[in-house]
Amino acid sequence: MSQVTVEISDLRVSGNPEDVIITYALGSCIAVIVHDPVRKVGGMIHYMLPLSEISPEKAKDRPAMFADTGIPELFRTMYGLGCDKKDLVVKVTGGGALYDDKGLFNIGKRNYTVLRKMFWKAGVIIAAEDVGGAKSRTARLWVGDGRCTVACQGTEVEL
Amino acid sequence: MNATREILAEVDRLPAFPSTAVRLAGLLRDERAGAPEVEKVIRPDPSLSANLLRFANSAYFSPRSRPETVRQAVTLLGVKRTFEVAASAAMAGLIPPRLPGYDVDARTFWLHCVAAAVLSERLAKLSGSRSPDLLFTAGLLHDVGKLAIATFVFREASSILARTREGTDFASAEREVLGMDHAEVGARVAAAWKLPAPVVWAARWHHRPTEAPPDVDRTLVDLVHAADALAISLGLGCDAGEMAWPVDAGVWQRLGLHERGIERVASESLDAIRELAATLDGTRERGR
Repeated sequence: MSQVTVEISDLRVSGNPEDVIITYALGSCIAVIVHDPVRKVGGMIHYMLPLSEISPEKAKDRPAMFADTGIPELFRTMYGLGCDKKDLVVKVTGGGALYDDKGLFNIGKRNYTVLRKMFWKAGVIIAAEDVGGAKSRTARLWVGDGRCTVACQGTEVEL
Repeated sequence: MNATREILAEVDRLPAFPSTAVRLAGLLRDERAGAPEVEKVIRPDPSLSANLLRFANSAYFSPRSRPETVRQAVTLLGVKRTFEVAASAAMAGLIPPRLPGYDVDARTFWLHCVAAAVLSERLAKLSGSRSPDLLFTAGLLHDVGKLAIATFVFREASSILARTREGTDFASAEREVLGMDHAEVGARVAAAWKLPAPVVWAARWHHRPTEAPPDVDRTLVDLVHAADALAISLGLGCDAGEMAWPVDAGVWQRLGLHERGIERVASESLDAIRELAATLDGTRERGR
């Protein structure tokens, strides 16, 4: 088994059934976790911000920083490994929030809203999700069987 | 002995802040001190001289120049910036391999320190207000109290975490269980290390900026509070508190910041934070 780590503003895919894809400290960032059980291919993005329009230059250099440039890139990379959209199992986690009374600072909520709009337009169904709350999550995906876990506040649960 | 007294005793037991950095802090108060005086303090300290040159050559501190000598670096950076670099190097060498209670290793804690420092300066620029003196160092050392209180947080972790899971923020939970939080401890550490007032202020008030007394630079405290919140939110050095930290309701308005600008700062700071944290990681590891 080897571990493939997804850094902040990064995406990784793997067709090796022995691999575990992992990302740490999601905070208000969101991980979209995609698995193709037919071809045993997995992928994960850890995006930081909702929309690339705030910094188009940065989005060119690092598309996985933003939901609107990174998520399509994740799906394209999966398709490049032979995956078919109809087979993909999509899970979502992260989008946490600080104790912010006025909500001005809720990057997590905006990250999630943009994702939902994109998935609605593209006809992508979310199989499972664990989002929001004052949590900073670690997400794992076992490429071989598509098992997925989320760890935070000292416990790890299946997603 | 009760927890508060034990924590204060721990503040006294922390390693001293390196004397070269303390002497540089002294020079900040002397208006006549220039590059030659600063160089005289730094030159006898080979480790600081080497680190100063490494930082002075980082894209963050000097994007356009590549100083090769201590004199060139001090001339380029100026007295205040040289102190900030020296304080960074000093702090890097004082972080233990793990902070129990906060459940972080040195690298993760350091990433958070650097993120808060860089984001404080970037948010100051965004807000268009004057950049407060020693803002970088104030941001970098805002959590210094965690070095002294960590073992006590570890001892009472279950009580503290039980409170955060019921909706209490982590600093308030520290106060309820231990009688003081890492911010109060941080101010005592910074004062014991004879660090300049802005560093003490940011350590003391970074979770409760509106409670700072009138003689404190409120803008500085607001900027460090906002930068800390942004760093935690982005997962830059997350600890056991996860996201159970409060954001002051008025801070964005006081700083004149809006979400688009904040997000732009986040997007444009990530690489600088990683680069600088990696530079300082090397210092930290060599400092052992």
